[in-house]
Amino acid sequence: MIPEENSKNRPKYWLSLDQWRQDPEFMKFAETEFMSSPLRESDTGEGGWARREFLKLMGASMALASFGCIRRPAQLIVPYVQRPPEVIEGIPDFYASTFVDGSETYGIVVRCREGRPIHVTGNALHPINANGMSARAQAHVLSLYDPGRLNGPVKNLQNEKKTNHDTISVDWTAADKDITEQLKNGGVAILTSSLVSPSLDHLVGEFAQSTGAEVFVWDALENGAYADAQAASYGKAVVPRLVVDKARYILAVNNDFLGTWLQPTEQQRGFASNRKPGADMSKLVVFESIMTLTGANADQRYRIRATDSATVLMRIAHELLVNKKVSRYAGDAEVLKVVKGYAGQSAGIADAVYSKVADALWQNKGRSLILGGECMASQIAANLLNSVLENDGVTIDYSRSPNNGFKGRDGMLSKLIEKLNSGVVKTVIIHGVNPIYSAPAAMGFADALRKAKLAIYTGDRVDETGWYCDYVLPDHHPMESWSDAEGQKGVYSVQQPTIRPLYNTRGFGDSLLTWMKAIKPNNSLAHFDSYYAMVRSNIEKEYRADWVKTLQDGVINTVEAERGRSDSPRKFNAGSLKQAEFNATPQADFELVFYPTIGLRDGSMANVTWLQEFPDPVTKICWDNYLTISPRMSEEKKLQEGQVVVLQVGSEKLEVPIHIQPGQHDNVLGLAVGYGRSRVGEVGANVGVNAFPLVPVTNGRRQFAGVPAMFTATQSQQELPNVQGYYLMTGKSSEGANMGDSQIVVEATLAQWQSNPATGIEQQSDLSSWTPHEYKGHKWGMAVDLNLCTGCSACVIACQSENNISVVGKSYVLKRRMMHWIRIDRYFTGNASEPDSLHIPVMCQHCDNAPCETVCPVAATVHDDEGLNEMIYNRCVGTRYCSNNCPYKVRRFNWFNWGRMQPDLVASPMQMQLNPEVTVRERGVMEKCSLCTQRIKYGKMQAKLQGREVRDGEIQTACQASCPTNAIVFGDVNDPNSKVSQLLKDQRYYSLLVDLNTRPAVKYASKIRNTDKLKTSEEFYEGGHV
Amino acid sequence: MIAREPLVLGKKSLKDVTDDICRLVETFPPGRFVGVFIAAATLFAFYIFIQSMIVAYGMGLQGITLPVMWGTDIVTFVFWIGIGHAGTLISAILFLFRQKWRTAIARSAEAMTVFAVMTAGVFPILHTGRPWLAYWLLPYPNQRGPLWVNFRSPLIWDVFAVSTYATVSMVFWYIGMVPDLATIRDRARNIWRKRIYGALSLGWRGTARNWNHYEMVYMLLAGLSTPLVLSVHSIVSFDFAVSQLPGWHTTIFPPYFVAGAIFSGFGMVVTLMCLMRAVIPGFKDYVTMHHMENMNKVILVTSLLVGYAYGSEFFIAWYSGNPAEQFLFVNRIIGPYWWAWGFMIGCNVLIPQLLWFKYIRTNIIGMFIISICVNIGMWFERFVIVEGSLHHDFMPSAWNLWHPTFYDWGAIIGSFGMFFTIFLIYTRLMPVISIAETKPVLSVGHEAGEHHG
Repeated sequence: MIPEENSKNRPKYWLSLDQWRQDPEFMKFAETEFMSSPLRESDTGEGGWARREFLKLMGASMALASFGCIRRPAQLIVPYVQRPPEVIEGIPDFYASTFVDGSETYGIVVRCREGRPIHVTGNALHPINANGMSARAQAHVLSLYDPGRLNGPVKNLQNEKKTNHDTISVDWTAADKDITEQLKNGGVAILTSSLVSPSLDHLVGEFAQSTGAEVFVWDALENGAYADAQAASYGKAVVPRLVVDKARYILAVNNDFLGTWLQPTEQQRGFASNRKPGADMSKLVVFESIMTLTGANADQRYRIRATDSATVLMRIAHELLVNKKVSRYAGDAEVLKVVKGYAGQSAGIADAVYSKVADALWQNKGRSLILGGECMASQIAANLLNSVLENDGVTIDYSRSPNNGFKGRDGMLSKLIEKLNSGVVKTVIIHGVNPIYSAPAAMGFADALRKAKLAIYTGDRVDETGWYCDYVLPDHHPMESWSDAEGQKGVYSVQQPTIRPLYNTRGFGDSLLTWMKAIKPNNSLAHFDSYYAMVRSNIEKEYRADWVKTLQDGVINTVEAERGRSDSPRKFNAGSLKQAEFNATPQADFELVFYPTIGLRDGSMANVTWLQEFPDPVTKICWDNYLTISPRMSEEKKLQEGQVVVLQVGSEKLEVPIHIQPGQHDNVLGLAVGYGRSRVGEVGANVGVNAFPLVPVTNGRRQFAGVPAMFTATQSQQELPNVQGYYLMTGKSSEGANMGDSQIVVEATLAQWQSNPATGIEQQSDLSSWTPHEYKGHKWGMAVDLNLCTGCSACVIACQSENNISVVGKSYVLKRRMMHWIRIDRYFTGNASEPDSLHIPVMCQHCDNAPCETVCPVAATVHDDEGLNEMIYNRCVGTRYCSNNCPYKVRRFNWFNWGRMQPDLVASPMQMQLNPEVTVRERGVMEKCSLCTQRIKYGKMQAKLQGREVRDGEIQTACQASCPTNAIVFGDVNDPNSKVSQLLKDQRYYSLLVDLNTRPAVKYASKIRNTDKLKTSEEFYEGGHV
Repeated sequence: MIAREPLVLGKKSLKDVTDDICRLVETFPPGRFVGVFIAAATLFAFYIFIQSMIVAYGMGLQGITLPVMWGTDIVTFVFWIGIGHAGTLISAILFLFRQKWRTAIARSAEAMTVFAVMTAGVFPILHTGRPWLAYWLLPYPNQRGPLWVNFRSPLIWDVFAVSTYATVSMVFWYIGMVPDLATIRDRARNIWRKRIYGALSLGWRGTARNWNHYEMVYMLLAGLSTPLVLSVHSIVSFDFAVSQLPGWHTTIFPPYFVAGAIFSGFGMVVTLMCLMRAVIPGFKDYVTMHHMENMNKVILVTSLLVGYAYGSEFFIAWYSGNPAEQFLFVNRIIGPYWWAWGFMIGCNVLIPQLLWFKYIRTNIIGMFIISICVNIGMWFERFVIVEGSLHHDFMPSAWNLWHPTFYDWGAIIGSFGMFFTIFLIYTRLMPVISIAETKPVLSVGHEAGEHHG
């Protein structure tokens, strides 16, 4: 019976007076019921620890201490509560879609895992690229997860002079209100890149009509000469498709059709289709000033000045029409008048060469292809030759399915600038181009843009152009939005989103529809509530196609039958010869060529790490651009590799390091555009220098080649991140890339191959003291045809995407710590001035007698019973002996935790791209090509589930799947009917470094050149060539 | 009969020997020693920092990169293992051959072996990508299958060879010290000193029975160690020879490595003894010029042996007709690492030839400089083998050079800090010259002419 504490509530029954009085002393006494509480009484006096309490606390802390030693707390993830119908955890989904990259259109298949797009492959049903991809198309998926993207619309607060910028976030409604107010005032201009999307093109047109806006089309990389030359020669501006697969003789003059021009993936595929050694193997002859991928694949390559493109072509025309008097144009006086002017002009090439080329061309008339350079004159000269040689309508497809790109004109941009300056245009909407970055400084776009009342930019970040605009309203990433594309006439492909938009972005089409509705509620497109509805109605109404089937296929090919058929030749307008500037172009000591690289092109994807770390297929340099110069000129001017020079073009100056490029003309300098972005994000900012502002404008057209330039050397030196030993080019005998008789690259001429298909090949001897491995089931193998490999390096990025390969950044590439599992080795033969190039993709060779396997102390790399050399990451302790003992040097080591060392390059949300099928490797672990073992497992699993054998071709490695020329074939060599087994019967196949008896599973087919004699290096600059 | 040179100078009595050697352990060291020790300990602390950074961040801090995947750590590992060889050779082989001149230097040489192997042992462990898992190199029963190590890998042989060598040398060194530790115990006035040395001397009482067992164990251990002199470095050489890399893949490596190891080991002993004579002047009576000269003769012989090996490699490369091999050896002389090859030939073959002259053989400064050259030259020999072979191998596209970083220099220099710190602690705590073995070689009780030492 304990009394209540409150003295007012006295107990009803009490024991003592003290209790009744609620005496504090008593209360304390009474509470301790048992007088001496074992819990409360102190052992050591007041304030100390009671014994029991002490024991209790000790026990508790012991228990807590031991709790501290358990594994880290479990963090539960919850699987889908309501699973989206098509998503099954662990099973990838594939969506057909489209990727548009400048003049190129790709049908793609996006692989998604748990709702995230992680990898892109070519859409085999697509007539343009089929399965072929480019490095950029592969890297497209990473640009979705670019950390530099805006996560919502922003507004730039600008002062009177439009210089003081501060960027704030706005919401769409407020932005729309502000914009529609301004749009109502009229004077609207829309500046876009070439739009190959019929829906968007239509929408932009309707928008222009209903708001009175004017549309300007401009492309960063195309000056419009190709289409304009067509218009001049044949009367109608068209961008013909190159039908390379019909061409037996290709003459490319300063035209990189295999690398960056027009639709390289399709053109490479066409080129490769005729490269099978044999009587009708095609021949590629290249006249060029800088070394391009096309030149690197040439059977015969000649160096000319950049300004000599037209001269070379006209000289050949002279050979045909005047000297040989062939073709129906031989009697055309108007043509002859111009052609005769080229009688003695040689552009530094021996006369015999012209005569020989002309003979061969005439023999191949109707099945040759002539390609001119970037100037009108050479394009018109190429048109003349194509007409003379009856290629028009055959290899030049101007009617069946011509290209829809290259709509931009420099004149359009000039006109826009004019109208901005005069105040006619008050509001400008910029979509798909970044002219502040890519327009020549001479055009003065920046000043003109400042004069606009309101500038709206739809880029995905506040980049160079965005910085000058009032609103930056981020468009969706193509993987997040609906659209379509008609890259070539009649080839309609659909772009479907593969993920819900990551950020608060809105499609450009939807923006236009919204604004149109606000300004003119009863416009012609008012019945569409979204751009998606437009795209869908286009397919269902225009093409009368089933929506679901179209999405599944990704493409509607309405010209399937026609694409392959030839058309009748057009009439060549001889007047166009005079129209073009055929007067001898003044030639400077140094002619500068601005060229796009295969990785960065116009620089729009400069914040994508894979593309920055993509070794250029020609120079093998990444993370930088540079001024290329010929070896002889570098010696004459005493320039070292990497020495910084001050380049001067007109009044513009630029500091840029030197790269010594074999095969370049001595009077030519090359400088890549697409670098030097200033506002692109942490990855691409200030990588290299921006060459775009230097491009001069002559006759209203940007001049990308043959620009007079000067340079002065400085004393500073800048190391270029070259993934292949740059010091090999010094030419000293001990440094030469010649390891005696080692079998690395094998080449032969067509004649040599005809007499002996195994020319230059040493076959594996059967002598071995080892008991060979036994492969009872599958034995995986790979065949790589060097004759088909153009070196385009799409496989490098495909592999990077598939296998979660980290980038390492410029500083570590300089230390040669790049992680690519497949590399394209490039070798030169011949002298330094006029070398031939060889490309060889090298991945893990999966040797039967693998040197790496025997030396690993912990058995982290072992052989499996299907011939794979497997790398077990979680067993690896990182002694790196395997790499030392690997003769092919294909193993890559994780020197660091790359995310920790390069937080800008391995940044969130890029982790969303990672392929869950492939382990992300820890620091200190060795890694290498696994022949996409996860794909093999997946294929075998599928076969087992369906109760059948694995079908040949069902399992494709990532590199194989992306190769535009199908140079890589993977399969089961135990199956005599598999494609790889069939291929390996060809005597051209050899093993790399055969004398080491490693017995690789990867075999290479020798390169056959359609030429008379292989080059040898007799002297450094001269000799040795035909 | 020509009188032999006395092995101990200064007409020492038996008590003098005990006093001289024990004094180091029993008195506070002179300032010079403290200074040297602080310097060494600072360097050791720096070394701990360097290696901690590498463990924390990764091997990428060093300059190694594709295709040169092994660098400073492996070069320096082989260097220190090589240094360790002289200890076993002096203590075991010279003991079995009854070379009494070894007594003065044997203890320190053995200590040097143990510490050099300790210093070396750090490298292969911290050189792995994930050093916290380096114990996976040991074959121990486990629940992963059990998953065993790959017994075909020379790195596993290496683990066994080095750990066996470290264990045997340590036991050999310790057993040899037992009578002397007992002497220190007997002289101790401080109770803790008595207890500690008492425990260390394993109850040694100096009885005839004790001596009998001791002599037998010592001789057996010497017999056990002798093959190790040949095996350890042979197996270390297999780390390279078993691969198929030109420049590594050669059968001459085992004897070549052993000769080189003895060469470098004696070089290091001479360096240390020169320093000891300088820091502790009293030791000049024990480590006499006679000892030094003998060691210099061994250096000269082994220098010729390694010189022969260098030449023979070139001959075989030419004779084999293998282009990759031939390219590599030409590249050694005129390639980018020509200077390393030059250092190796100069320091290991040319400079030691000066030891043909007795004047230089018996000149402390001269021999000190030569011994330093030998140390440097032998480091470069391993550098030439490791880097010189890796940087240009089969695939020209992968060729690349190795450039040292701060962490490479830190690892090389810091490892000397570790070695010297441990060595200096040893000189304070342990009898640095064997008292028990020195006394029998004194001429006490003999006329000079009767000495049969």
